[in-house]
Amino acid sequence: MKAFKLENEPKIESGFKTPEHYFENFSEKLMHKLPENEPKVISLFQKNKKIMMMVAAVLIIALLVPVFYTSTVNVNSKEIDTATLENYLSYQSNINQYDLINGLDTDEINNINATIALEDATIEDILVSNANLENLIIE
Amino acid sequence: MQEEEEFIQQLLNAKTQNEAFQKLLLTYQKPLYSHIRNIILNHDDTDDVLQNTFIKVFQNLKNFKGESKLFSWMYRIATNEALSFLSQKAKKGGVSSETLQNKTIDNLKSDSYFDGNEIQIKLQKAIVTLPEKQQLVFKMKYFEELKYEEISEILGTSVGALKTSYHHAVKKIEAFVTSN
Repeated sequence: MKAFKLENEPKIESGFKTPEHYFENFSEKLMHKLPENEPKVISLFQKNKKIMMMVAAVLIIALLVPVFYTSTVNVNSKEIDTATLENYLSYQSNINQYDLINGLDTDEINNINATIALEDATIEDILVSNANLENLIIE
Repeated sequence: MQEEEEFIQQLLNAKTQNEAFQKLLLTYQKPLYSHIRNIILNHDDTDDVLQNTFIKVFQNLKNFKGESKLFSWMYRIATNEALSFLSQKAKKGGVSSETLQNKTIDNLKSDSYFDGNEIQIKLQKAIVTLPEKQQLVFKMKYFEELKYEEISEILGTSVGALKTSYHHAVKKIEAFVTSN
């Protein structure tokens, strides 16, 4: 069989055809299909993105400040419980019971008397069970 | 080159755009049609891809940096559009690109837009057996008669490598036609 040599053969065309007037119609058809040159639409958010992000950050910080502030204040202003106050006054201050009494007015003393009014039986129990009677009497 | 720059400016200017684009169409529609048809083989699909190519050219003209010639830039878009169309069509059909091409060649005889004889069909069958790059180089050199320098600018391959590709393609085609 004779070997086929492309260069020895006359040029082989592709053989592809187009419909009649294809190119005339093509350019007309395509010109109608081209997208309109509309002005580029930039959304408000995109345009002011940086500014909006900054405003959002400031708002978040502003909203968070009271939260931090409140929590800090709460820690500082934590109420001192009665036992701690008593211990402080008894062992770590120079205030004695006379100073305390002097700091109170008559009404307050009466109130204290009223709230701690003890029955005779209770007083007796305390005196019987307490060994340091002498100290209490001296005081 | 300066003429081309002026032409690109006309294409970008809203006032001169329509007229300039019509000129671009008239200059390039035939060579780009041939280029796409040689890859896709079928007229109707070529028509679709050619339209997409020109629409892409129109949309991307503002991004054209002028680093290459307008001609090679458009050919590059056409090549990419044609190849991606083929691979998508093959994927949809669940077949390889080569099987799809063979099927199209088998249908060429009944294609009203193909006027070829046995040797032309055999040549197409031989081309399908080549690797994609060799197919492109052979078609652009043999059918479209582009210069190696032009093909080099379009495909981004050195002239030396293109010559080697073409040489290998011719040898394989000759072997295929001889044995079939």
